Amino acid sequence: MNPSVKLLLLLLLSFEISFTNNLPVNLILIACLFIVLLFHHLTWRQFWWLMIIPLIPGIAVLITIGGYGAAHNWLTGWGIVSRFYVYVFAGGVMTFTTSPLLLARSLEQNFHLPSKFAYGTLAALNILPKIKQTVISIRIAGKMRGINLHWWSPRLYFKAILSAIRWSDQLAQAMETHGFREGQPRTTAVKVPLYWTDWVILIISMVLLQFLLIALH
Amino acid sequence: MFRQFHLKDIILLAIIGIIFGVIYLVTGIIYNGLTIALTPFGYGPMANDITLGIWCMAGPLAGFMLRLPGASFLGEFLSAVVEMLLGDQWGVTTLLSGLVQGIGTELGFTFTLYKIYNWVTLLLSATTTTILTFAWDWFRNGYSHFPFSMLVVMLIVRWLSMLFFTGILVKLIINLLNRSHVLAR
Amino acid sequence: MEKILIQNLTFAYKEGQPILNDVNLELPLHSSILLSGSIGCGKTTLLKLIAGLLPKYGGTYSGKIKLPHDQRIGMLFQDPAMQFTMDTPQHELEFTLENLQVPHKEISNQVKAALAFVNLQTVAHQKLTTLSGGQLQRVALAVIIAMKAEIIMLDEPFTSIDEPNRQFLLQKLAQLQAKQGITIIISDHNLRDYQDFIQFIVQFHEHQAKLLSSNASHQLLMNANQHSTNLSTTFPLQGDPSIIKLHDFSITRNQLSLIETTNLKLIQNKVTLLTGSSGSGKSTLLKSIAKLTPYSGQITYAGNNIQKIFPGKYYSQVGLIFQETNQQFLNVTVGEELSLSIKNGKNTFFKGKSSRELLAMVGLPDLTERVIYSLSGGQRKLIQNLIMLMMGQKLLLMDEPFTGLDQLSLGKLLTLIKKSCQHFPQTLLIVSHQLDFLDGFVDYHLSLTNQQLTYRGGAQNESQR
Ligand SMILES: Nc1ncnc2c1ncn2[C@@H]1O[C@H](COP(=O)(O)OP(=O)(O)OP(=O)(O)O)[C@@H](O)[C@H]1O
Ligand SMILES: Nc1ncnc2c1ncn2[C@@H]1O[C@H](COP(=O)(O)OP(=O)(O)OP(=O)(O)O)[C@@H](O)[C@H]1O
Ligand SMILES: [Mg+2]
Ligand SMILES: [Mg+2]
Repeated sequence: MNPSVKLLLLLLLSFEISFTNNLPVNLILIACLFIVLLFHHLTWRQFWWLMIIPLIPGIAVLITIGGYGAAHNWLTGWGIVSRFYVYVFAGGVMTFTTSPLLLARSLEQNFHLPSKFAYGTLAALNILPKIKQTVISIRIAGKMRGINLHWWSPRLYFKAILSAIRWSDQLAQAMETHGFREGQPRTTAVKVPLYWTDWVILIISMVLLQFLLIALH
Repeated sequence: MFRQFHLKDIILLAIIGIIFGVIYLVTGIIYNGLTIALTPFGYGPMANDITLGIWCMAGPLAGFMLRLPGASFLGEFLSAVVEMLLGDQWGVTTLLSGLVQGIGTELGFTFTLYKIYNWVTLLLSATTTTILTFAWDWFRNGYSHFPFSMLVVMLIVRWLSMLFFTGILVKLIINLLNRSHVLAR
Repeated sequence: MEKILIQNLTFAYKEGQPILNDVNLELPLHSSILLSGSIGCGKTTLLKLIAGLLPKYGGTYSGKIKLPHDQRIGMLFQDPAMQFTMDTPQHELEFTLENLQVPHKEISNQVKAALAFVNLQTVAHQKLTTLSGGQLQRVALAVIIAMKAEIIMLDEPFTSIDEPNRQFLLQKLAQLQAKQGITIIISDHNLRDYQDFIQFIVQFHEHQAKLLSSNASHQLLMNANQHSTNLSTTFPLQGDPSIIKLHDFSITRNQLSLIETTNLKLIQNKVTLLTGSSGSGKSTLLKSIAKLTPYSGQITYAGNNIQKIFPGKYYSQVGLIFQETNQQFLNVTVGEELSLSIKNGKNTFFKGKSSRELLAMVGLPDLTERVIYSLSGGQRKLIQNLIMLMMGQKLLLMDEPFTGLDQLSLGKLLTLIKKSCQHFPQTLLIVSHQLDFLDGFVDYHLSLTNQQLTYRGGAQNESQR
């Protein structure tokens, strides 16, 4: 499926269930998303990761609504817990099946996102290891001078942002030397197709969701 | 009247988004621990309100660094995009949250017509962000089902968190940046 | 037009402080040109001006730069890691060709050809972040090949790569020049082993730059090869007290061994010099000792496994001078930086000194009020050394602490370190490319060659690095 349309579908879906509280529908959605993930060779590790993430906030909400809410409505609580799982599985479908590059290419080719947004963000993503290393170094540099940089220390952020300013300058210049110009047309090495079937899938899925929501109310 | 966003600005905003995520990870801020600690009192979801300010820092910071309409929104939204791509816990809804937070932080700058850049702007921005994000959580996190008294407490806690992180902390960072003369305008 | 013409070029990053002042140059095409000059003289600036990155990315200029029309320019940057947008070599090449609007059908073949030219087919789909400095520079060269650049500029491209890779790149460039008549402009501090490749040198001096004649250039390059420094050291003895011990220590990165299993000790309160070719793993060793990077085996500090010592306590005993200067600083002004070290420092040699006196000790004027990030590289390096010496850790790891210093400031710094050590003994482990003036200063010489860490004794000169 086209990555951008996929993202749009997942967004619409997540958006809609944020405003409804329907446990059966949520469970059906989770099952569907799970099946999609199985087709994409979900590993056990990934599966447990998806299961564990919403656990703590889920339990917290459940206890708050069920135990302390005015109506002690455990069903509502479960509805919200299941909603968290829909979010996470939808996120899993996106991140496990689509690389950032493919999504960027699709947004650029199919939806005419200005290339500076697509590739500017990618350039930043791709230096993630360097960013991690630097944040660690900054904290060590602090310890060597006898101060602890906590997450509420302005200095920690200041130093990190200084590095960010330097990197953004370097990366922008590097992209330019590799021929990139803002607003200039580009060709495509890999074409990301957008078929009418993608739209059909989107529409059918959303219509089905409405039916389910009404039927299982 | 205002210049456009250049490639360099976009990369900068995206990197800042990543940095906040990395600091969050590396310094081990215990969102989950906080949730567990508060749950027995029925205040588990408040961990969200306590730490939310951290996630909304990128916006005001970007607004102050670039001083352009949309900068704050873009800063906040791009950091949500990178969080989603890095596999964040809230999946694609991160984008929706980013949208809401972005509009929230941007409003503070809009109300000051992109002319005033001081603590008033930050105060405004913190307040608008609190209101908008709270409205969003009303639906997404099921706040509508919470006891009323608790909602009041959570709203105040969230506002205080915003004031501390997107207000005080951002102001201190901006002061350091201004003094170091690295912000070219 | 058979030259790059530069007329009355004046450039300044900040109003009133020109970096280049009324420069006139005629750079002949189809030849190899080396830019040479001291730190901060404006080599990078000139390259970026020619590439059109300046004044777009800052600064103001007057004068003229005339390039032969539609000659495409390619550039290799000094920091190999910061010149790519994408995650893999394959994607980076595709990205570049897309930018140049190469038709869809041709892209795949051109990517293959460019990768083949630099022998990198095997890593086409490997993440760039896992490639070595040398491999990264080869990817960058592949991009330039794919771009069909006719003017290739290289900004200190060899500082972070090893000799075989340097030779490989130079040989490939020479091949391109012979076949396609491209123009090559390289900026480098080190003139060694360029005599067969470079035809002209542009020398920078006091905001000016001039092109030397072919003969004078050749002479300069030959002289650079003859220069050598002698350094004589002894072997540590069995009974010497140690501060750091490596037990079955080894480091691998990307399935490649950097340091093979070794047992070694570092002698307490002595100065040990660590040398090795670039990319051999010197910084990685220092970072291992500073607990900044993983390793296998065990490192003990005063008999205790360093992984078991709390960070706060460990870093009050062990300090690291980062290779990248800016990482060391935590404040905005020089004064604040010094006060922090005055407040928390334990080195009694610096006790009771004012900021101004401290700066004078390394030969700097009163820079207290200055913003650190506005200082020149050399000044920053001196201050970095100073604030870390003042901290007075028992062990100070120094990663290239002398880069960017001229002879005078280097002399002052070395004297200061010596005096400080006499008064307040510290163990120093120094990584340095530059051996001038170090004779008599270092006690032991540790060498990292062929993945082996061994002590060297007797007299050595620079060619044995
Ligand atoms: N963005 C900038 N803003 C202000 N000053 C700058 C900037 N970049 C460089 N400079 C200054 O311009 C001078 C020349 O810098 P440049 O990078 O061209 O030197 P270089 O000859 O390449 O030095 P090196 O050998 O250290 O690479 C230096 O004194 C430096 O401090
Ligand atoms: N985190 C990492 N991931 C992958 N490779 C790495 C990492 N850190 C270092 N390397 C590789 O290990 C090798 C040694 O790097 P190191 O920085 O230790 O070299 P060095 O001897 O200090 O070189 P130089 O003299 O250029 O500073 C390089 O080839 C580098 O690419
Ligand atoms: Mg330079
Ligand atoms: Mg090194």
